[in-house]
Amino acid sequence: MQFHAFDRHYLEQLASGDFRTQEHFVSYFSELIRLKLSKRLHSHSEVEDARQETFARVFAALRKPDGIREPERLGAYVNSVCNNVLLEYYRSASQETTSDDEEAEANIPDPALSVVDVIANRQVQRNVREILDQLPEKDRRLIKEVFLEERDKDEICRDMGVDREYLRVLLHRAKKSFKSIYLKRIAKEAMPGC
Amino acid sequence: MDHSEANRLMASEKYLLDELSPTEMEAFEEHLFDCRDCALDVRAGAVFLEQGKVELASSTVDAGRIAAEVRSSPGFQWWRTAFAIPAMAILLIVVGYQNLVTYPALKGALAENRAPRILPAAALVSSATRGAEPTTIEVRAGEPFLLPLDIPVQKAYQSYVVELQNPAGVVQWSLPVSSELLKNTLTIGAPGVDKDGRYEVIVLGRNGRGENSEVGRYPFDVRFVPAANPEP
Repeated sequence: MQFHAFDRHYLEQLASGDFRTQEHFVSYFSELIRLKLSKRLHSHSEVEDARQETFARVFAALRKPDGIREPERLGAYVNSVCNNVLLEYYRSASQETTSDDEEAEANIPDPALSVVDVIANRQVQRNVREILDQLPEKDRRLIKEVFLEERDKDEICRDMGVDREYLRVLLHRAKKSFKSIYLKRIAKEAMPGC
Repeated sequence: MDHSEANRLMASEKYLLDELSPTEMEAFEEHLFDCRDCALDVRAGAVFLEQGKVELASSTVDAGRIAAEVRSSPGFQWWRTAFAIPAMAILLIVVGYQNLVTYPALKGALAENRAPRILPAAALVSSATRGAEPTTIEVRAGEPFLLPLDIPVQKAYQSYVVELQNPAGVVQWSLPVSSELLKNTLTIGAPGVDKDGRYEVIVLGRNGRGENSEVGRYPFDVRFVPAANPEP
């Protein structure tokens, strides 16, 4: 699915409500939007609400005749919608208003995990475990303290006698090892039009 | 930001490590949403870290691995010969004791741990809640129980520590918790206690300088119930 082009045909499929295309679209952007939002919002529910709102707005725009003019810039458009949602969230946060009645009506694929997802996740977890097991104990500890215990990175690096560059390179290498497995996994996922 | 600049800056890694300045982050995100390579890179990294956290949190120390890393010092070679025979004799006694006494007991405990069972849970209410009475949990002495906690995440803290204080005011155990885990209800499997009375779960927030501040206090009462008679 990763290699599917964002073009006019893709947008038409998306706008017409083709489930697989919608699923691909949500799957592709979900993690990016979630990461972006979680760097700015502080609770899981806020992130989830803003993510849903972003998708709802993009789907609403898609249904308008002249909604998205440059299909190849779909990603940039999603990012700008997400920025707008964030801006509005910041404004409304101070006023403490809710908008339950304005729930998105778009038929967004349910992100809940299916049995297949659960099995796939287990496989991913096994792959991650293998990569982590191959790391020297020091590097495992470094990753654990930075990402799990969320200690101050400068302090951890000082304690372990490494610099921030070491941490970046460590993450880069682990990510690179995992990326090929991840690519295979997403290649198995459904492709629109297949 | 273009792709070569993103690569040169290791922007994906910095993004995942929260090392980009707000301006750099905006610029990278503009590129990220538009670039399939970077999107794949960041998504793979995020999934790796997410699963890695789960894995690291659940993994216990691999004793075999550590043992393999331990290297004996050449300065102690003489010790081996001088003490090998008596040490072997002691070892045999220990092994015999383990086989006859310790392992059967451990097997029983392991079988118990593998079997599904219902654990009592304490519905915790913050002491700051006006008019709220501490909940009472009925357990057998030494029986584990569950502590479900909803802790509001605060920007000021990078991580948290959850402590259990016993009726004597002594901290019984302490558990570091990441902010990420607090986005959902946190359920702690607490080891059994041997004294009844009022216990308190104390939540401390830890800031970037490693300083702890109290975030919340959740009292609850433990009342012991008699152990059930063993089945015939």
